[in-house]
Amino acid sequence: MLLFLARRIGVMIVTALCLTFIVFYLTNLPAKLETLAKTQAGSRISDAEVASWLDRNGYNQPMLARYGEWLGVVPGWTRVDGDGDVTGRCYRAHGITDPGAAPARCGLLQGYWGESTRFRASVPDVIPPRLGATGLLMMWALIVMVPMALIVGVLAGMREGSRTDRTLSTFAIASTATPEYVSGVVFIALLASSTAGLSPLLSSWGWIDAPVLFQGNARSALEQITFWNFTLPVMTIALYGMGYVARITRASMAEVMTQQYIRTARLKGVSFANIVLRHALRNALIAPFTVIMLQIPWLLTGVVIVEVLFSYPGFGWTLFEAAVNNDIELLLAASVVAVIVVLLTQLISDIGYVWLNPRISVT
Amino acid sequence: MTHKKRKATELHCAAKLYARECSEGKLSRREFLTRATALGVAAPAAYGLLGLSAPAARADTPRMGGTLRIQMDIRAQRDPRTWDWAEPANVCRGWLEYLVQYNRDGTIIPVLLEDWEANDDATEYTLMVRQGVTWNNGDAFTAEHVAHNFERWCDTSVEGNSMASRMGAIMEDDALRDDAIELVDEHTLRLHLSRPDITLISGLADYPAAVVHPDFNGDPIGDPIGTGPYRPVSYDTGISAVVERNPDHTWWNEGNGAWLDRVEFIDLGTDPAAWVASAEGAEIDMLYETTGDFLGIFTAIGMEQSEAVTAATLVMRFNQDSEPYDNRAVRRALQTAINNAEVLELGYSDLGIVAENHHVCPIHPEYAELPPIEMDRDAALEMLAAEGHAETEFELISSDETFHADTCDNIAAQMRDAGINVRRTVLPGATFWNDWLTYPFSATSWAMRPLGVQTLDLAYRSGVAWNESAFSNEEFDALLDQANGIPDADERREVMARLQEIMQDEGVAIIPYWRSIFRHARPNVHNAEQHPTLEVHYQTYWMS
Repeated sequence: MLLFLARRIGVMIVTALCLTFIVFYLTNLPAKLETLAKTQAGSRISDAEVASWLDRNGYNQPMLARYGEWLGVVPGWTRVDGDGDVTGRCYRAHGITDPGAAPARCGLLQGYWGESTRFRASVPDVIPPRLGATGLLMMWALIVMVPMALIVGVLAGMREGSRTDRTLSTFAIASTATPEYVSGVVFIALLASSTAGLSPLLSSWGWIDAPVLFQGNARSALEQITFWNFTLPVMTIALYGMGYVARITRASMAEVMTQQYIRTARLKGVSFANIVLRHALRNALIAPFTVIMLQIPWLLTGVVIVEVLFSYPGFGWTLFEAAVNNDIELLLAASVVAVIVVLLTQLISDIGYVWLNPRISVT
Repeated sequence: MTHKKRKATELHCAAKLYARECSEGKLSRREFLTRATALGVAAPAAYGLLGLSAPAARADTPRMGGTLRIQMDIRAQRDPRTWDWAEPANVCRGWLEYLVQYNRDGTIIPVLLEDWEANDDATEYTLMVRQGVTWNNGDAFTAEHVAHNFERWCDTSVEGNSMASRMGAIMEDDALRDDAIELVDEHTLRLHLSRPDITLISGLADYPAAVVHPDFNGDPIGDPIGTGPYRPVSYDTGISAVVERNPDHTWWNEGNGAWLDRVEFIDLGTDPAAWVASAEGAEIDMLYETTGDFLGIFTAIGMEQSEAVTAATLVMRFNQDSEPYDNRAVRRALQTAINNAEVLELGYSDLGIVAENHHVCPIHPEYAELPPIEMDRDAALEMLAAEGHAETEFELISSDETFHADTCDNIAAQMRDAGINVRRTVLPGATFWNDWLTYPFSATSWAMRPLGVQTLDLAYRSGVAWNESAFSNEEFDALLDQANGIPDADERREVMARLQEIMQDEGVAIIPYWRSIFRHARPNVHNAEQHPTLEVHYQTYWMS
């Protein structure tokens, strides 16, 4: 078990290194750095000013050296100003200017995540609140998605080929086949517009007081989550993941229902409800459990679209903003967070799998 | 200064122009009223121009209190002199005030100044600093503080300090000239310019010219020392900014504003569809700027539209350092192939007024009316053929921003109608702006400036940093110098007429229209009409 964990953590570190290097390379292409200088020092500054800005902020060294700086294995750049003050990566990180006062290296290894150029704040200040906001969104999405998916899957899978199965399967396939950017827009048009869809109808009947049934914008959920402002983003995410999990549950359930022990139980005269709940369910849930855990990193990418669409400032929204504004250190930190989330959920899913299915062992 | 002296009874010259167009039937009465009031002409006066009497107006007394929620981009804050967008300035306007203010009607009024005077050739300015103004830390506001701000504005060692480009006449060796400022007394200072400059005062109304305290450390949110009636509560880049009335400070203009208790700026991203969703859910009261197809949508959901005519435009300029645009006949031919009114209608949905291929707008005080320009497609092709360019493929580059692309698409279509080969290239915004100065033939959007000479100085004088057309003309430069020394707009107009003609004759650029800008707000938001330079003077807004 310990070896297994160690191997997993090793994989995580290697993956994070590879991914951050790719992100680092892409965000440090010369044209990207020029864009960064322009968003930081003025959108219409001249080429000479761009060069001077890049030089003064330590962007003019070889890319590998700066990647090393970010990791904390290469000493950070320093420069002595005209008046004897020293500035540099580590000097700025600690907000000091006295020569020699700052440590030589400051990077990930030293616990320094860098500064976000988009938000003008240190990365550890930017990411946690955004990750928290996304956590709430995902939590609600999972609360809605998992029971619905399991119910749909079990109902469809207990009698394969029946009318219930066909109807529910069609629904599940349709929901998986509709990407978030389609379902989100359809939801807004149908439920959150005062001129189209259901809201004008409901409002003219006097059933709703507000002009719209649901908020088409989740910004106010940042302060307080209400049924009114959070339903649409949660439904958009949940619907997409639900179909997939339901399909897996159905397949797994259908397979279990053909097993010998189910036939035996039925011959013994156990009621159908008891067969499904007592005998089939636990075995049928092994496959969906893994899929649900894998859905979490999948949701983490899905929230980019949903959070931007509903202007909900979470992790996906932050990733989008960082990418659009070429915010190097924020993007790198976000990649690290994403790798950790993906591999942690995989780890939980593997351990859970072993627990659910005693025939499998991690070693 | 001339542009200050327009009295309430005097009318904007463009308003008169519109009145004439209206009586000639070129402009509907409704359109006339929108545009005239957008120029700051009071509604009764606008009706008066048409020989009508205004419908009885309801007297409005501002009401204290309320929270105004405005959709606006919240960009990262930085030192005011390096602001390159109006949005960060708009948040800080409630505590960082300006020496002077540019109004919707093109006039400039004093704010932290009481008055100012220029000598006849605009080489010496006397600024009378307003008395009785205090900073919110208790210090009295004096002429020395103003001098300190001039020093800050002249410091070119700060990257992106765009104020330095407006202060050239009082600078020397990249800093404030030693003898440029003379402190006359505690509330008076005199500026000695090295050359005539009539744009100095209007430069003080631009958004980076916010006046800061001598102790200011460069962070307007963390260190909000200012003279205005509000103070920041929170500022989260990309999310929101909140401002509230400052209970611990007596504002010098108490009783004439600061009606709102609280102003919340909310950044809902760049997609207007998200703004509509939010407005429908009654989560915002006002939009910073509304554009294009969304104008009708916001009106349909019950918000009121306000318009400001501006001198902002899209310039399709030829870079005269590049083949074949170094040939004047080619440039003239391409201009001649274009009907500007059609570009306005199809490329910009008629949301503005037609321009005449020179960069002086009718709302500029010194605008001179020239004979209308003619479109002639056959002549255009003949001119190109005569230069051996009948078969040449011209590449028109633009960014992917909707109205840039639409306008250029229409221009390309008109060129094809004339039988000219043209290729359209659309680049993503981030890539496009990296090389905007050097493309051979491309579209650049230009923001408005209060005086006609200002854009000419910035973009068309030989060798200046933003001269993207590589235009270099000795007569033009000399006349521009001359115009820059005439403080009176009417006198300056004679020189301007010639400058405008040179721009047309030399075929510098296709400038098809002047853009109007729009804003939507709920009917209970008052005094919040769109401003030509997108300023949000929330200290004068109120809600009923």
